Amino acid sequence: MERVLRIGMLLPILMLSACATNNATRAPDANLSKLKTFYVVRVPEDERGIEKLIAARLTAMGYQSASGDAPKPAAPVDGIVTYQDRWMWDITMYMIKLDIQIRDGTSGAILAKGGVMRPSLQRKSPEGMVEETLGVIFK
Amino acid sequence: MRTANRCLALASVIAGVTLTAGCATPASSVAMTATSATAVHQIGSDVSVAVSGGKETASMGASQISDQAFAQALRDSIEKSGLFAKVSPSGARYKLTGFIGKVDQPLIGFSLTVKMEVSYTLVDTQSGTTVWTKDIATEYTAKTGEAFAAVKRLRLANEGAARENIQQAIAAMTTLTL
Repeated sequence: MERVLRIGMLLPILMLSACATNNATRAPDANLSKLKTFYVVRVPEDERGIEKLIAARLTAMGYQSASGDAPKPAAPVDGIVTYQDRWMWDITMYMIKLDIQIRDGTSGAILAKGGVMRPSLQRKSPEGMVEETLGVIFK
Repeated sequence: MRTANRCLALASVIAGVTLTAGCATPASSVAMTATSATAVHQIGSDVSVAVSGGKETASMGASQISDQAFAQALRDSIEKSGLFAKVSPSGARYKLTGFIGKVDQPLIGFSLTVKMEVSYTLVDTQSGTTVWTKDIATEYTAKTGEAFAAVKRLRLANEGAARENIQQAIAAMTTLTL
């Protein structure tokens, strides 16, 4: 009986503590090394300023970057960055998933994408999520 | 005490089974195949299809769209539409590549909306020139009436967004005069 109880209780715990994952893919023939200037488009629903974190990280990586609400920048750029952030609650709110797309500055076509998913037990700060996602994209 | 232990054991086993019973299944190529796309102009050469950017479905994860399934749906849709003379496995006059750049899926919800974006490129393999390129964004909402289980609703939303995407790609290519 005790063994059944243990196994039964272990199953949900195993399910809820999934592993963290990250991945990135590039379009065929996409050359990210040519991109030097970026513009990050804020998601209208984003009230946490994730677009600023992405722009700041790109600047720290040695690129020229800016962010804003407009879907296109005022001045031409090499790459446009879009993202989707997902949040969950577990004692406090935390970012569970972040997806970032790097687009061609002229056509808007997606050149590369990357995503990071971190459940509650492996949670990172929004800055950490941004750093990890951009890290796998530009690796 | 013994009865309480039994109840607890049963409850925890049910909880475990309930969680594991909802295994995710991948989007199927048949369900992603566009049905109503009919070419107004037929391109008299053959085409080969290649897709990248998709994801495999892990049984404990969310339903995903794989490269193989999306490519197969794209091939079947092109054949059904009669847009090209033939779909060849390789070495065709034209090469159509699709890069699945975005599949935005909700984590929870009743009505599940999947937003998808695919970058298509059609290259003339004889001259090496890109004759057509387009980024197509589509979305599909699967409601609770379509499926009770969330894992199935997410798969239906994936398939719907992909089907609409392929349909729009074929509709756009029918205007080409090659």
